[in-house]
Amino acid sequence: MNGILVRLTVRALLLQRRSLALAALAAAPLLMSFVFAVGARAGANHRLFYSTLVQQLFLPIVAALVALVVGVSALGDEREDGTVLYLVATPVPRLVLVGSAIAAAWITAMVLLVPSLLLSAVLALGHRLTAGDLLWPLLGTALACLAYCSASAWLSLRVRRPVVIGVLYILLWEGSIATFAASASKLSIAAYGRALVAQALPQANPPVAGPVASFIVLSVVVAGACWLGARLLSRVELP
Amino acid sequence: MSEPVIEFEGVSHWYGDTVAVADVSFMVEPGVTGLLGHNGAGKSTALKLCGGFVTPRSGNVRVFGVDPRRDPAVYRRIGIVPDDSPPWPFLSAVDVVAMCATLRGVENPRAAAEQALDDVDLSDVAGRTVGGFSHGMRQRVKLAQALVHGPDLLLLDEPLNGLDPAQRRQVVDRLRSLGEQGKTVIISSHVLHEVDRTAARVLVLVNGHLVADGETLEIRTLISDRPRSVRLAAADDGRSLARELVSAGVVDAVRFEDGELVVETADIERFSRVLPAVAQSTDTRLERVEPVGDDLESVYAYLHERARARAR
Repeated sequence: MNGILVRLTVRALLLQRRSLALAALAAAPLLMSFVFAVGARAGANHRLFYSTLVQQLFLPIVAALVALVVGVSALGDEREDGTVLYLVATPVPRLVLVGSAIAAAWITAMVLLVPSLLLSAVLALGHRLTAGDLLWPLLGTALACLAYCSASAWLSLRVRRPVVIGVLYILLWEGSIATFAASASKLSIAAYGRALVAQALPQANPPVAGPVASFIVLSVVVAGACWLGARLLSRVELP
Repeated sequence: MSEPVIEFEGVSHWYGDTVAVADVSFMVEPGVTGLLGHNGAGKSTALKLCGGFVTPRSGNVRVFGVDPRRDPAVYRRIGIVPDDSPPWPFLSAVDVVAMCATLRGVENPRAAAEQALDDVDLSDVAGRTVGGFSHGMRQRVKLAQALVHGPDLLLLDEPLNGLDPAQRRQVVDRLRSLGEQGKTVIISSHVLHEVDRTAARVLVLVNGHLVADGETLEIRTLISDRPRSVRLAAADDGRSLARELVSAGVVDAVRFEDGELVVETADIERFSRVLPAVAQSTDTRLERVEPVGDDLESVYAYLHERARARAR
């Protein structure tokens, strides 16, 4: 990973107008938590609300979409506007170029998502909030986002319409089928993120794997996407 | 003979049904080489192949003896000015150039960037963001980032586009001086006289084919010596003039188009000398004399036909 490239890409990603749209999307769970906190009746199950919010909306839809868009933009936009030529025409190894783009996308996604996640927890759980309620969802989101960003960056080098394909995967697979069907969830990035969240929050379905296995699976997705992306970057046609 | 810096060996590349580069072979040695051709001739693709941004569909490209796609370390020795890719608009000129210097392993990137910007006459706006620059200023930032690490090979895709005459002269002088220092510079252009002033050698691409390769003077002579067509508008029907021109042996063919005489000659110099005398002797008053097909496209078409005839 190269610090200069990471800073450059984070800056490019945050300066885009679409970052505002992504920030609004990321704030949706926060708004729902606020409405819940204001309107909750006595005896309402705060933990169940927060758990459902994180595991069925925040992680598989909101975080996935934000990570998809920034992951695709990290390399895709530079490829489209030609600035990638200035990076590729350097002795920096291709794996470092791709790794730096993924790291930048991940940082950008976390900047957009973490405030919403933490504030949602505070609003939804109030005085019932524990450190675990913050840390496990944070860990699950962070790792799932890294996997989404990596897969999206690879997708941006591999196909012509990466966002369309990514949205179809997220909405059709992650957002519906894999959320409810246990067997399908084994091929879902969000399911492994949820498995980490489930360490602190109750889950309707049993987790797809334990925390260590989930960590390993997500790491393998990240490493694989990085390696494949680096291979593609040295073969793909540049503008 | 010095070692070739770039070797193209039977290189072809195409986009869908469009052939960009067709079985092209050449070698480039130190000095300034012009890559000439009309828009869409394959110049940019050839430069991208040199830069390792495109993998040839067939054939081999080697730069300093290696394939840049497999060995990125070679980019320490290469500076590239792409045609259509402005640098990051939100960075200042000095930040763009310093970043490129850092990534290419320059020891004191900031100082090198300031020097490179000074060399292209941009030091007074070095701190301004590139997004607010004119096209010419962005071209000079691109040139500065390509020069900042003191490369041995410069690949420049239409680097003079958008520059005013004074800036062009300055850049041309700089490139010529780099060539004299033993650096290898490849400069693409669709305008002959642009390349003419800079390069000692010219490669001419037409529709992806390498149709001429040689000293700039040779190519210039070849182009100026090509057969020409001239349209003559005479006050009368021009038939006696046509007869006399054929008899004088200065034209190879004559035809009438829309009541005007069109002649073809292999020796335009001699034709120009003889025409007034023949017109006078036949008592023909010439109202208009104009060359036909003297545009660059025609020149390239001629070179293409000539190369095909030689190949047959």
